[in-house]
Amino acid sequence: MASNFWTSSHYEQLLEQEEVDVVLPLDKEKGITLEDFKLIKMHMANYISKLAQQVKVRQRVVATAVTYMRRVYTRKTMSEYDPRLVAPTCLYLASKAEESTVQAKLLVFYIRKLYSDEKYRYEIKDILEMEMKILEALNYYLVIYHPYRSLSQLLQDAGLNEINMTQQTWGIVNDTYKMDLALVHPPHLIALACIYIASVLRDKDTTAWFEELRVDMNVVKNISMEILDFYENHKMHSEERFNAALSKLPARA
Amino acid sequence: MGEVDTSKKVADRYLKREVLGEGTYGVVYKAIDTQTGQTVAIKKIRVGKQKEGVNVTALREIKLLKELKDPNIIELTDAFPHKGNLHLVFEFMETDLEAVIRNHNIVLSPADIKSYIQMTLKGLAFCHKKWVLHRDMKPNNLLIGPNGQLKLADFGLARVFGSPDRRFTHQVFARWYRAPELLFGTKQYGPGVDVWAAACIFAELLLRQPFLQGTSDIDQLGKIFAAFGTPTPSQWPDMVYLPDYVEYQYAPPSALRKKFSMASDDAFDLLSKMFTYDPKARISVQQALEHRYFTSAPLPTDPDKLPRPAPKRESVNSKASDFNPNEAPTVLSPPRKSRRVMPERGSFEGNASQVDKVDDHIGDIRLAAGESTSRNEPAPMSVDFSIFGAKPPNRPTINSADRTHLKRKLELDFQQPE
Repeated sequence: MASNFWTSSHYEQLLEQEEVDVVLPLDKEKGITLEDFKLIKMHMANYISKLAQQVKVRQRVVATAVTYMRRVYTRKTMSEYDPRLVAPTCLYLASKAEESTVQAKLLVFYIRKLYSDEKYRYEIKDILEMEMKILEALNYYLVIYHPYRSLSQLLQDAGLNEINMTQQTWGIVNDTYKMDLALVHPPHLIALACIYIASVLRDKDTTAWFEELRVDMNVVKNISMEILDFYENHKMHSEERFNAALSKLPARA
Repeated sequence: MGEVDTSKKVADRYLKREVLGEGTYGVVYKAIDTQTGQTVAIKKIRVGKQKEGVNVTALREIKLLKELKDPNIIELTDAFPHKGNLHLVFEFMETDLEAVIRNHNIVLSPADIKSYIQMTLKGLAFCHKKWVLHRDMKPNNLLIGPNGQLKLADFGLARVFGSPDRRFTHQVFARWYRAPELLFGTKQYGPGVDVWAAACIFAELLLRQPFLQGTSDIDQLGKIFAAFGTPTPSQWPDMVYLPDYVEYQYAPPSALRKKFSMASDDAFDLLSKMFTYDPKARISVQQALEHRYFTSAPLPTDPDKLPRPAPKRESVNSKASDFNPNEAPTVLSPPRKSRRVMPERGSFEGNASQVDKVDDHIGDIRLAAGESTSRNEPAPMSVDFSIFGAKPPNRPTINSADRTHLKRKLELDFQQPE
């Protein structure tokens, strides 16, 4: 659905940051803090990404899967929807929705290869059962727009489409899926924020170009700040803290 | 969002009525929505038996229909899991355009035809505006609602287009509705393929029978060339570069104006523009809607005044055996059409066990008729969400070979860069 983001369900479903940053009561009871919540989602985004590399699907599928996963947790608890099952299932569903179907048994094979931990071990039937629950949690809205498409157009328009700049911006866009940005902001604004950061990092003067765009630069700058904050805090996101957060969740039934 | 809490929504919201037919991925039955009192059609997608979860074709349809809300596109009103299967709830549609065309008791005036084709094009224009290709336009995918509204259905083959280099499979559409570029194996095509199919439907409305009835892909091209003349390079410069291009013996255009003598000059002009060989020169759906045909007299008939098949009260009443066309008391239409299962409009005093019987019986009819889409064959990709299960036997749909091909192509898609 290339053209009209503004009439899409994706646009209608955008949330406020405050709506995304809510730990649901059941998870709160288990001692999950907002930090834990964000940390687990970030690690699950990484999990999806790692798994996707194994089964060889496009970045777009990863991006859709991560967005599904993040949307699910605005409505469902981690206590009831185990992230270790939700993550691969979102990849499975996204692969179908993005027309690059990956077989469930292949996913199960690579899950075993990546994680020896018993808690990650799920079978085909678990994935298929969860697929239905995720569809329901998503209210069957499956079309997701991503910054990638506008990215190349914008870079070209700004005259910044040389390889280094493109790669750097692309990488930053990939990293935005470690945050909840896609649930809050339209994709083209996320793309612009990434271009802004990359151009500052690479000492490109883009002030004039940005001024000519009819977008709210305050929003673009706010998104950029969020991304930079994320990079800054990233050091603290150790594996131990993640495991500690995850261990608060109940063992699988 | 802003919708009813789905967690409590189970089948008991919907009062199950008789089975309407069977698509490739599940049974379609009629039901009453107890919350609104409205009649709906529920498509049950069997998931339990499948190793690959929710059927990709079904998923594609859900994905697109959730985004496409238009008066001329079938509305997916609800979806819910129940007993391990996924259920899709659609607005109930009484009949379809194929039933209208085939029913020779129905007289279609020029204004009626204009109305039907206008609604078809409007639905298609909305898809194209949203960058969706329907890819399976044919009369029995054009459903007709209680108020005469025509709506595009069956988005199981539809795809998003718009990435310029995106390659698609050419094995789409039932053969009679396939554009020449598809028959020559093009992988990069656009909305023009839907326009060609719409032109075939337009011609079918005028002729009251399918226009170009090829028996194979080669024969289909032969039929097209016999009608319009073999295309010359000046008419269609890119033709010779198409993957499966073969030279055809020159055939002059036939006396088409005479064949369509019932059509007005405006109707014939629009038809010719939709049947343009070169997809780049072919009229777009939007341009077609702006053609003077739609503003010249007679104006399109109001949808609720359009002639439709009479509800057959007698045919599907309490006794399951009434489904059998050979025993049905009044079969006015030709035998081929009567094999379609027609729902009645009135109440159905059935219960669950009767519904089951009815279901089995449809199977019997199909097996007895030796229809190629019966259960022991791989299901065709072209899923028939027409609320009427059985299709006439000799209308081509996408066959299993096409399906394998299509699947392979779809799997290859991800290797294309974004």
